[in-house]
Amino acid sequence: MVRDADPGLRNDPDPDPGNLRLAGRLRRAVTWLQQPWPAPPAALRRGPMRRGAFDSKLRSPRLTSLLGLALAVAFTVCFVTGLISHLIQHPPFWFYWPSRPVGLYRVTQGLHVATGLASVPLLGAKLWSVYPRLFAWPPARGLAHALERATVAVLVAAALFQLVSGVLNISRWYAPMPFFFTAGHYWSAWLAIGALLVHIAVKLPIIRPALARATPDRTPGGGLTRRGLLGTVGAAAGVITLATAGQTAAPLAGISVLAPRRPGAGPQHLPVNKTAGGAGVRDAAFDPAYRLTVAGPARTVSLSLADLTALPQHTVVLPISCVEGWSSTGTWTGVRLRDLVALAGVDPDNAEAYVESLEARGRYRSSTVPPPHTRDPFTLIALRLGGEPLHPDHGYPARLIAPNRPGVLQTKWVARITARSTS
Amino acid sequence: MTAARRGLLALGALVMTYAVIGALTDPDVRIGASVFLIGVLVAHDGLLLPLTIGAGILVGRYTPRRIRALVRAALVVSLAVTVVAFPLVLGRGRVADNPSVLPLRYGRGLLEIYAVIWATAAVAAAVRAWRARRRREPRTAG
Repeated sequence: MVRDADPGLRNDPDPDPGNLRLAGRLRRAVTWLQQPWPAPPAALRRGPMRRGAFDSKLRSPRLTSLLGLALAVAFTVCFVTGLISHLIQHPPFWFYWPSRPVGLYRVTQGLHVATGLASVPLLGAKLWSVYPRLFAWPPARGLAHALERATVAVLVAAALFQLVSGVLNISRWYAPMPFFFTAGHYWSAWLAIGALLVHIAVKLPIIRPALARATPDRTPGGGLTRRGLLGTVGAAAGVITLATAGQTAAPLAGISVLAPRRPGAGPQHLPVNKTAGGAGVRDAAFDPAYRLTVAGPARTVSLSLADLTALPQHTVVLPISCVEGWSSTGTWTGVRLRDLVALAGVDPDNAEAYVESLEARGRYRSSTVPPPHTRDPFTLIALRLGGEPLHPDHGYPARLIAPNRPGVLQTKWVARITARSTS
Repeated sequence: MTAARRGLLALGALVMTYAVIGALTDPDVRIGASVFLIGVLVAHDGLLLPLTIGAGILVGRYTPRRIRALVRAALVVSLAVTVVAFPLVLGRGRVADNPSVLPLRYGRGLLEIYAVIWATAAVAAAVRAWRARRRREPRTAG
């Protein structure tokens, strides 16, 4: 891992003796770091560290490489889809997310959660297949070996972090996580992907031949064969997927007995994340003095619920797609956001809208609607769902609903819209 | 080490550094995330995996050879489903004013999945036994 000192250093024509001394010191440091470490006393080699402590013939570089390959694909899918979700919610200046197709986010985030859940048996089997390496003797042969093992520990910890925190999040059980889930899951994802790259770089000489040709399966008769184990892991991933995917794929809802949500379960047949009571907006939402303020650089208008109802109404069929992986389609009726932006004197084709809720505080009390979504005629300030006035938990009196957007950005109980020109 | 491997190694180290700096400077992560990071590692490598391997040894000792592989497979699938189902069955995420959160009876759902897994394993064992018998008595088949 650690390269030899650059031979160029030795031929350095620089006559400055200070530089020469530095080069010598560097060389000595590199040699010292490459020194093999003394082996610990053999008497310490006990328990699982004994030779032959793990006797399963099922373990092989071939099995580990196949599981590792599947896991690397799964983690890449999770990383990319997760990063997309993060960028939509915290867009840097260079990021562009379209408003069509309307269900794209529903697919990417559904895939994120489904792939993560299917990775549970994959990771379990992968870690089982390399478990004896945890007790390798000697524990570290030198600095490079110790560093490599530390990276593996980071990779395993970060991978477990991702799957465990993800499972806890979709079951909305936050007590065991002493940090803000979104932030922890995000940084741990970078850690896992970085450690995965290092791991692949280190193990490539083992992975390549192991994947290139099948080594003979030496499992004794009666036991689980390599093909049997791979099939079992696949079956486990399949069962988990069928048991949960109904939270976003409605046709599967009947057999998804472990779906954390059911697309049709909730007020007006749509699940709810934050209730009006939980957000503390019940009184403000039902206050007859409710006004929606639409502010632009030129003028500010104040609209009562009756004023909003008097504006041209449009009906769209759009999904609510939650970051937690569930989604459900609703039929929304209301005023186009672009019409309201125009009302405030801003060209709706080149505008963004800052939408604020009646909620006094909370991470998701406001959101910015970027230009593609502000322009899109499907983006509504909805007043009705399924033909009825919005249920308070769905954002009565008015809520934002835009195509291809995470649910947390579909601001409910809208009180104020600030339109800004982007041209 | 080839240039490609060296490049991959450097990229990975860079990404890991980015993650550590990002986490340390994010006030939402703090020390809790590192406790959790170490916690899941210790819980898995020190508890869950040894227990699983121990259960596998017991299966090897006490189940007949003919069905051993099937029992192992059914146990592996059951364990994986249990890991996913555990927090749902516990139901700590339920809130009083929002019945759309965790709307199902997950304990019952998990039992149903166990039933499907073990019924499938039983059918597979029966098919296997029937095939083995046919192989032993080839003349009756003709």
